[in-house]
Amino acid sequence: MGNQQVLITKKFEFSASHRYWNEDWSKEKNEEIFGKCTSPYGHGHNYELHVTISGRVDQNTGMIINLSDLKKHVNEIVKSFDHKFLNLDTPYFQNKIPTTENIANVMFELIENQIKDKGDFSLHKIRLYEKKDLYVDVIKETNHE
Amino acid sequence: MLSKKPIMNRTVLYKIFEFSSAHRLSSDKLTSEENWDIYDKCNNINGHGHDYYLEVGITGDIDPETGMTIELEEMDIKVNALLQQLNYKHLNKEVPYFKTTISTGENIIQFLWNELDKSFTNQQLYYLKLWETNNNYFELKR
Repeated sequence: MGNQQVLITKKFEFSASHRYWNEDWSKEKNEEIFGKCTSPYGHGHNYELHVTISGRVDQNTGMIINLSDLKKHVNEIVKSFDHKFLNLDTPYFQNKIPTTENIANVMFELIENQIKDKGDFSLHKIRLYEKKDLYVDVIKETNHE
Repeated sequence: MLSKKPIMNRTVLYKIFEFSSAHRLSSDKLTSEENWDIYDKCNNINGHGHDYYLEVGITGDIDPETGMTIELEEMDIKVNALLQQLNYKHLNKEVPYFKTTISTGENIIQFLWNELDKSFTNQQLYYLKLWETNNNYFELKR
């Protein structure tokens, strides 16, 4: 009892706009690959973020991580994305297209750093929904096959 | 210049697709009583149908030029080409594979996996979830 790794997931939401554009390509190539996502003013989504933490259950509290602490840590990151134009209002997409894959990987790294050394738990996975039918997982892997 | 820094964590892109089919669960090897005992209402002689939802998970490195693991258009084309064979069909009667294989969710998801695994090269196919109704689903993972 109490020695198993358990996963806990909390959901967050944010709304942001973005634009897909590769500066190294012509207008035609950008439009061919990215279609309507190339609009210069951007477009937006209501994103849903699922943050999954793994760890052992603390025998004193019955918890892996105090959910209000997790909420505080993750909201630090989420607020820097919420109601922003990701390409211009965040520093992360200067040389990366803000696709769901890239946003998820950036957020994974930021959340992982944010909770590092805060306790005996670690970030296992994040799932980022761009729409109800389109989402990305970033999963911690030590052995990438 | 776009960053070429490799990403060690696994990235999986999921998209949800839909198809609607009729089927009937019935085995040639069993008597009608045995079939009814096992498959119950799913053994209804004239068949019945579902709106199926299929979640397809594709993994791979993120292309630094596009920021994508796979272009969504390529994914749509490959998955829809397969689902077209099932959509608005009676699986047992109109889809050759299910003339000899019972069209349970378990068998449908394995059929979809084997077909999609041929379309998506380099083991890009990572995960499938097939919803038969709102209350039951089947999963396969590489």
